Amino acid sequence: MNATTPATSPLYPVFAALSSSLSVAEDIFYKIPGSQVVARYVKSSHRNDPGRTALELILVVFAIWTLMKSRTRKDGQGKHFISFNEKEIDDLVADWTPEPLGKPLSEFEKHDLAAVPIIQGPNGPRPKLASNGKTVLNLASFNFTGLAGNENIKERAIETLRKYGLGSCGPPGFYGTVDVHMDFERDVADFLGTEAAILYSQGFSTVSSVIPAFCKRGDIIVADRSVNFAIQKGIQISRSTVRWYDHNDMNSLQEVLESVDKERKKRGGPLTRRFIVTEGIFEQDGKMSDLPKLIELKLKYKYRLLLDESFSFGTVGRTGRGLTELYNVPAAQVDMLCGNVSIGLASGGGFCAGSSVVVEHQRINGTSFVFSASMPPLLAVSASEGIAILRAQPSILATLQENVRAIHTVLAPVTGTLVTIPSHAASPVIHIHIKPQATSALAPGAAALIKHSKSNPASVRLPVDPLKGVDMEAEEKLLQEIVEECLNNGVWVTRAKRLRGQELVEPRASIRLSVTAALSRKETEKAAGVLKAAITKVLGKRR
Amino acid sequence: MPSSAASYLSALSKADAQARRSHNSTPPGTPALSMSSSITAESELEDPFSLANDTDSTDLMRPRTAPTSEQVFTTVHAEFGHCANQDYRYTSEHGPDDDLSHVDVEPPYYILLSTYASYLLLIVMGHLRDFVGKRFRPAAYKDLKATNGYAPLSSDFDSFYIRRLKLRINDCFSQPITGVAGRTVTILDRTTQNYNATQELTGTTTRTLNISSYNYLGFGQARGGCADAVEACLQRYGVSTLGARLEGGTSDLHVLAEALVARFVGAEAAVISSMGYATNSTFIPALVGKGCLVISDELNHASIRIGVRYSGASVRMFKHNDMHALEALLREVVSQGQPKTHRHWKKILVIVEGLYSMEGTMVDLPGILALKKQYKFNLFVDEAHSIGAIGPHGRGVCDYFGIDPREVDILMGTFTKSFGAAGGYVAGSTALIDCLRVHGHSGPYAEAMAPPVLAQVVSSMASIMGVAPAHTSTSTLQPAHREPHPAAAPASALPAWMALPPAQRDGSEGHERLRRLAFNSRYMARALKKLGFITYGHPSSPIVPLLIFNPGKLPLFHRLMKDRATPIVVVVVSYPATPLVSGRVRFCLSAAHTKDDIDTVLGACDEIGDLLDLKHGVGERWPLEEIMERSVELVHMDVHE
Repeated sequence: MNATTPATSPLYPVFAALSSSLSVAEDIFYKIPGSQVVARYVKSSHRNDPGRTALELILVVFAIWTLMKSRTRKDGQGKHFISFNEKEIDDLVADWTPEPLGKPLSEFEKHDLAAVPIIQGPNGPRPKLASNGKTVLNLASFNFTGLAGNENIKERAIETLRKYGLGSCGPPGFYGTVDVHMDFERDVADFLGTEAAILYSQGFSTVSSVIPAFCKRGDIIVADRSVNFAIQKGIQISRSTVRWYDHNDMNSLQEVLESVDKERKKRGGPLTRRFIVTEGIFEQDGKMSDLPKLIELKLKYKYRLLLDESFSFGTVGRTGRGLTELYNVPAAQVDMLCGNVSIGLASGGGFCAGSSVVVEHQRINGTSFVFSASMPPLLAVSASEGIAILRAQPSILATLQENVRAIHTVLAPVTGTLVTIPSHAASPVIHIHIKPQATSALAPGAAALIKHSKSNPASVRLPVDPLKGVDMEAEEKLLQEIVEECLNNGVWVTRAKRLRGQELVEPRASIRLSVTAALSRKETEKAAGVLKAAITKVLGKRR
Repeated sequence: MPSSAASYLSALSKADAQARRSHNSTPPGTPALSMSSSITAESELEDPFSLANDTDSTDLMRPRTAPTSEQVFTTVHAEFGHCANQDYRYTSEHGPDDDLSHVDVEPPYYILLSTYASYLLLIVMGHLRDFVGKRFRPAAYKDLKATNGYAPLSSDFDSFYIRRLKLRINDCFSQPITGVAGRTVTILDRTTQNYNATQELTGTTTRTLNISSYNYLGFGQARGGCADAVEACLQRYGVSTLGARLEGGTSDLHVLAEALVARFVGAEAAVISSMGYATNSTFIPALVGKGCLVISDELNHASIRIGVRYSGASVRMFKHNDMHALEALLREVVSQGQPKTHRHWKKILVIVEGLYSMEGTMVDLPGILALKKQYKFNLFVDEAHSIGAIGPHGRGVCDYFGIDPREVDILMGTFTKSFGAAGGYVAGSTALIDCLRVHGHSGPYAEAMAPPVLAQVVSSMASIMGVAPAHTSTSTLQPAHREPHPAAAPASALPAWMALPPAQRDGSEGHERLRRLAFNSRYMARALKKLGFITYGHPSSPIVPLLIFNPGKLPLFHRLMKDRATPIVVVVVSYPATPLVSGRVRFCLSAAHTKDDIDTVLGACDEIGDLLDLKHGVGERWPLEEIMERSVELVHMDVHE
């Protein structure tokens, strides 16, 4: 290559060495199998288009540079980085004053926290309060089917304690799967009629873990605007594309499904997983989903249905199997059916039932299942016993329904005048809202406006805020007055507590009654009577 | 599965009838229970080995050295081993020149290369099998393909690791057990006919030595003072308190337990959550939010990561337990402020764990507190593994280093591990805890902790603290003035109905447990090093990881340990829970183990270690017999020797 160099040049030895090492390198290169092909390619491409060689060389350099570059952000990277010297950093550090870690509570929050009743001894239909030692009628705690304090359950729990101890001392993956957990999973799957089920150790952490186990970035979730907080958190973690439909409105759901379908057809792209996420009985207001319609739509548009039955499992249906039993829909048609064992069976934990593929998937991908210790065995056995009791005594659910009707009957005189009840007539969870005053934004005219303005599925908020003009804190205070008035008269009810400022859409302030089959009809009527009187007393003087 | 509504309904009532029939004869699901219910406390005292089956290895049921006539043991040996030798005790305490840094010990190159090669082989084989399988056995892959207009639940790419790598060694995971996971545990034997795709129970059980459960102080017991307290509580309170803490589920027992926890950890107040994972995931969002920065150790637990993601705060990570990296990061983030806007961060919260569950490393708390003074960040210490297990009084890392716990803003911990219960707590100043009660997700939405779990927490915690005689105690539950820490619990801090046995009341049993755990942990860690293994972690850590590296050796180690004459169950972990090349077996020591048990494990490790070529550690080596003989000397040795 360097043949043109004059032989007389003093640099000759250097060039000679260069050329010989070059030829050695060439020899070695050609000894590599396949190198001939590469060389031929480079030569021919260079001959055809010398510019391309340069371009490819640049590309190779760029690739190497990208690979060498650290993947993580480091000092001095990013275009917004300002470099300071050590002294300046020291000054900035000295200047910085952080906000206090905990936000101080407001006066109302303080009062509210102090007003939470503390039970002395066991909880049940007639607990004793620590504050005054009085026994109250309980419409605040989740004891729908009256399993609390059941002697059979206690006995089984003690037997379990004497064989298994209390804690499981491990996550399910590492010697924390106890046979009684598997038994409960079988029991609940058998009870509902699904292939399998998986037990989580806390009800609240169930659905928020189930959603991100299946829904990933790029997947589509179509959800109700008023889903509970756990679902909101699950959706947040999933990073999926979310479309919202109007609360419990099947026409709106169909429109959204239709629009998603159109959008996909227009855009093309690969088939993604699609889910409808909603609740059986809504935690926020006690409304009930139209399950047959949901199933019809999900089959038509080929979505998977994730139904959170936290408040409907163990509370409705002939034997408490929930919405599927109430509507005679095979539970196997619901792809992921989540339930709350602590609410439905007065024990602890939550479950997700479905096909074995759905369940096994969660055993590896459900974060709160994998990264948490399994539930204490005696709680699993208590839950199994609870299922056995519900199966054996359908009369419990009949009594519960009677009590629900009794409450509605007693409250009828104030319903529609002072308060409104959004909850479904069969729901043992009954929410009570303050009826908006005529001057508020919720006057008929405003309501009509809300109805006619079309909602945007991409945003969880409605175009017109239905709570606009409602002084939430004032409502909460009035409701709390009612609660305290009831407590003074021996009836325990509670406001539905919320995480104001953290919810996607602020739920309307409400008093939530949890009707129980453990109280007789007379007692239930009496309790409802006290509530009615308190409502009249507190809200009546307002006008 | 019935498809029409009518047939579904009739199937339901049939199922009910069947369940009722079986329920009347034997309880559904747990037939073994009816037998255990006949064991009363009295019969147990007559024969402390009453849990023995004929098939159980006697080695596990009875101590190798028979107790002398004056030795009285109150525990079942299978749950909590009998060990009277006071030499086998140690105090968990920080020495002035203990090294806290985490050092990755590199194995020889051929081990690293063969590990990479193994993974490469596994991955290539996996893809080959996928390629061929999809074409010739499409039925087996139908769950990975779009069918009938539905996208698959998991794509073949996402599930590749699980199908092609984990499936091969699935027999090492999710082993079902029965009974107490104490010193020994009874596993339900499994077998597979289809290369681990499914595993069937054979119906037989095997009692094994358990060096895997998080049962650090051995409170996982079905007999004894704590179990008696739980029984009394079940009789009195039932199973549940029926609701969330802010609505219908707060009982006097919650208030009492929270006050005791606050005393135990040395904070003003504490709040309890019914699930350990949820303690982090539901309370962290109440501490930080948008405009705040969380600085997190790179090995922090998943629950912390999820909690931070819920909160919406920004996150930066620093190299595991590296104070220089932390300081460099702090200097950067404080001076730069928020991205783009360069506004000051509202708050900076540094989240670390006390003891790391996969490495056994202990947090450099003195180092972090020094930085905290200078950089003014808030500190959150997750003591999931360290509370109860570490420190001369079992009060966690602050106790271990002799640091005032109030220097740490938030102390979080779980009851699953050392206390044999479930759930967790967050402790801090009263104002902060009140804020968490109102703004944390648990308060309004999550179920309150169940009373029997509270009873286990209170009784085990009180027996570690000891209960002060009634006349010196103050009657207030929440101390208004600062009390000495760590101190015994006043009698008023316990429910009146809870009758603890004298040895638990005076704290002597708890003290004994702490000292046994400290000895066992140190003995195991040091002995494995002397045998020539590569181990990670702090010598006082009850978690001792033994590095195996090669993915092929992991299941082999597990199976060889399980198939021994005295079966031992171990936890093996590899990628993605650890870095790709550092697959390991993780031992969890317990106060329930006797020195003989640890010798059994060491003997097994020694043999299998030779077989699998695992001994690549540096430093002086001792033969097994010498280690067993000079165990006390080994434990008391200087660290740098």
